[in-house]
Amino acid sequence: MDKIQYERERKLYYKVLFGLLFMTALTFIQPHIYVAGTFVSQMVIAVIKAWMILMFYMHLKGDKLIGAMGAFSLALVLVFFIIVIAVDVTNFQFGAESYITSAPHAN
Amino acid sequence: MSHEYIPEIATDREGNKHEVQGWQDDFYGGKLGFWLFMFTEVMMFGAMFLVLTYYNTLHHEDFLLASSHLNRWLGGTNTVILLVSALTMGLSLLKMRAGDIKGSKLMIWATILLALIFLTIKGVEWTEEYERGVFLLHGELLASSSMPFGEKLFYGMYFTMTGIHGVHIIIGIGLMVWLIKRINAGLVTPEHHILHWNIALYWDIVHLIWVFVFPYFYMIGAGDVVAGGHHG
Repeated sequence: MDKIQYERERKLYYKVLFGLLFMTALTFIQPHIYVAGTFVSQMVIAVIKAWMILMFYMHLKGDKLIGAMGAFSLALVLVFFIIVIAVDVTNFQFGAESYITSAPHAN
Repeated sequence: MSHEYIPEIATDREGNKHEVQGWQDDFYGGKLGFWLFMFTEVMMFGAMFLVLTYYNTLHHEDFLLASSHLNRWLGGTNTVILLVSALTMGLSLLKMRAGDIKGSKLMIWATILLALIFLTIKGVEWTEEYERGVFLLHGELLASSSMPFGEKLFYGMYFTMTGIHGVHIIIGIGLMVWLIKRINAGLVTPEHHILHWNIALYWDIVHLIWVFVFPYFYMIGAGDVVAGGHHG
């Protein structure tokens, strides 16, 4: 690795650090700006931070094979977990008896 | 049954056959294998996040109330510590690739130190929670307590997920100590640094998981505290 490439990568690490610190600060500021939608806002900030870590700290930028594997895994989770669980929850037959779904008698 | 050595043959683009001597220089293969392992980590934590989301939809108010009682400042400090540790680990790999072995080892030690501070803060936080009667199989989390069921679910998931995450931090410290030993033994060098690369990836996935753990547990109830809905 030559000196120029080393310096370029080192600078990139620090830029990403400041980006992540800024997003972390935003995490704390957000509830003071608007309360409604805190959950969604916090998750959006987390996704942006995760993207920065994956692309630059984990060197996925330009790595098409591993990137495609990640996208495929995510699609699997979305299809097989979220949709299947949503169907299961919608058609759940033991809502009245379950301690998890029925909060009042479980308290 | 014989145990005769049968060489593996690889064929190049011109059709010439070569006996394979070893796969130690297969950098991309090593990296790809480690990513497959990391996908299993994502699946494990992903499943826990899905469970958490399911409980959150069922007991949203309880979740907000429980979240508002967590110590956001300690959690936030740990977030920044992990964030900086991801930088030091990344810089250690960069220095290794550039041939600065001494600087690389220094950065690994810095990462270990930050990881230990993270664990200490986590310990302080858990002690605080234990003292106010919130801990697994203890006080308010016992089945007989009057705490709302949704809050019990929240805290159950909180201790489980931050606990498993903490175990990953401890494993990470062990891996980094092992890495330093391998560097000292001359087995990890600027030319052969796949182990260093993969341990840095491991540390990043530990950080990545925390990026979601922190807002999900500590921040979702922050809005209610600010608005005066609850106090925490």
